Amino acid sequence: MSRWKLHTPEGVQDILQEECMVKREIEERIEGVFQSWGYYEVQTPTFEFYDVFAGESGIIKQETMFKFFDHQGRILVLRPDITTPIARMVATKLNDMLPPIRIYYIGNAFRYDEPYQGAKLREFTQAGIEMIGTNTPESDAEAIVITIQALLASGLEDFQIDIGQVEFFKGLMEQTGLDEEQIEKIRVLIDSKNSLAIEELIDSYDIDDKLKATILNLPSLFGGIEIIDRAEKEVVNERARKALENIREVYNILLDYGVEKYISIDLGMVQSLNYYTGIIFKGFTHGLGFPICSGGRYDGLINEFGKNMPAIGVAIGINRLMSALDWKGVGFNLSTVDTLINYKAKGRKKAFQIAHELRNQGLAVEIYPGECSEEDILTYARSKKLGGIITIYDEENIELYNLDTDKKVKTTVSSLLARAKSKTESGE
Amino acid sequence: MKYITIALAKGRLAELSLDIFESIGLNCCEMKEKTRRLIFTDEDNKVKFVLVKAADVPTYVEYGAADIGIVGKDTLLEEARNLYEVLDLGFGTCRMVVAGPEELKDKFDTLNNKRVATKYPRIARDYFHIKKGQTIEVIKLHGSVELAPLVGLSDVIVDIVESGKTLAENGLVVFEEICKISARLIVNRVSMKMEKDRIMDIVEKVKQKI
Repeated sequence: MSRWKLHTPEGVQDILQEECMVKREIEERIEGVFQSWGYYEVQTPTFEFYDVFAGESGIIKQETMFKFFDHQGRILVLRPDITTPIARMVATKLNDMLPPIRIYYIGNAFRYDEPYQGAKLREFTQAGIEMIGTNTPESDAEAIVITIQALLASGLEDFQIDIGQVEFFKGLMEQTGLDEEQIEKIRVLIDSKNSLAIEELIDSYDIDDKLKATILNLPSLFGGIEIIDRAEKEVVNERARKALENIREVYNILLDYGVEKYISIDLGMVQSLNYYTGIIFKGFTHGLGFPICSGGRYDGLINEFGKNMPAIGVAIGINRLMSALDWKGVGFNLSTVDTLINYKAKGRKKAFQIAHELRNQGLAVEIYPGECSEEDILTYARSKKLGGIITIYDEENIELYNLDTDKKVKTTVSSLLARAKSKTESGE
Repeated sequence: MKYITIALAKGRLAELSLDIFESIGLNCCEMKEKTRRLIFTDEDNKVKFVLVKAADVPTYVEYGAADIGIVGKDTLLEEARNLYEVLDLGFGTCRMVVAGPEELKDKFDTLNNKRVATKYPRIARDYFHIKKGQTIEVIKLHGSVELAPLVGLSDVIVDIVESGKTLAENGLVVFEEICKISARLIVNRVSMKMEKDRIMDIVEKVKQKI
């Protein structure tokens, strides 16, 4: 047998029955929340031209995309995210819709992380929303509240949404007069809360002392809303001040929604400056070392496809959410097969009729394919944890075997169907 | 209450780290016994210590298997993980350098094919490719790196140097210093948020001691 025939490549996985049921259940609950807020689903292709993702504000590094070629030699990529294709779609096809355009998606994205790092999947499922065409604190708050509602609906209880504002950092940097390369160095250090290195670095630049103190303070500017009060006391320029005002406005709207207990602030959250243009946020929970969701305002992205439209969105990592729920022991009531039907030769036609009838009444019914010994049937039913076995001997005579109580009852077809019917009607 | 897990790099760094943690009131006496166990608990403070290989400390912390870690800056640079680097503990100090035979010192920059032996391929590449704009061939080794130029496996080495004694005894000299190295306290990005008060309490106390 060839060497890799029995294996899956690093970073992808099979999802077996029960896990798959849990995944679908979580996805459905989250979709339910999106729909209840007036969002409509869209689907974009699994692969696109590389150019779609290669723009100025590209958030995904070239090295992390799976690439291949079409017959004309053009570079294709498996989509590394779903927001960018939606930006393309909106700019080219939905640009005359009245805003706000509310869109949701659920699908797989693909990223190649080098070196491959264990639990990080190369194919992963994202569920998310985009709210396009409006740039108001109310839209920002809506994206955050929907995220909270979606996480709650999935069964997660203790989690935290961290809110930052990239304009605050950009404002401070504007004040320093440093060039792009120098700013990027500071950004990397602030993003890793490396206070010592920040101090060393900004000491080597000619910056006003008060401003220096503010920048040095950035890594510790995280916590409750009091962080904004603290930051407001610092000497900041108009741009940074507006960013703080924006967070406060969004926070006040979140207060009206009554979700403040999930919210905290982190002004030192400063990644992807070319992509994000305002509020950014991430969701955290115990038992998982990575964020479960990530979102923010990206007013420049759609412009790359020729239409200037502001937008905010969020993507929830379904696989990570599943790990978190699993770690917390959140259980799901999964649908199971109610009954196994098996028959003797004379009862076959009747068996099919009964199965059909029971299915119409909303039960899940398995038919054992072909005749089989009583013992084997029992072993099979037990291994699948089925509730009961119905054996059909002929047109009228049947036997019910309740595996939970271990009781066998001989009965007739007509009484069985009547009983099942009354059961479904009473909602049992 | 949830345990805070601290990952320590096996060896001298772990011993020095324990002294610090003991001085801020954590109970580490379980770890001072000679034992092969890898996990130790301070029940009073709800803190767990795990002993792992130095290069694995950033991995444990990035994944959240440990909330806090103590590890050398060399390992952090080489692993390039996504985490918070919060404190410079000031011990375990040494330098990351480029070293080679004396006679090559002035000619190395103009050498066409530069072969660099190192335990730190990423640091070597970042330094030569990005900082110096030079292309190199990296030869990854796991130890006794000083040997490589002596037997013609490489032209130079990139390695950490404490006193310079090993280099001198093998007839090598330092060409350039890449950076200074010392032990760092690192924190998982999610733990920092979810357990802010307890983690910052440990960080602040450790800060007082250094």
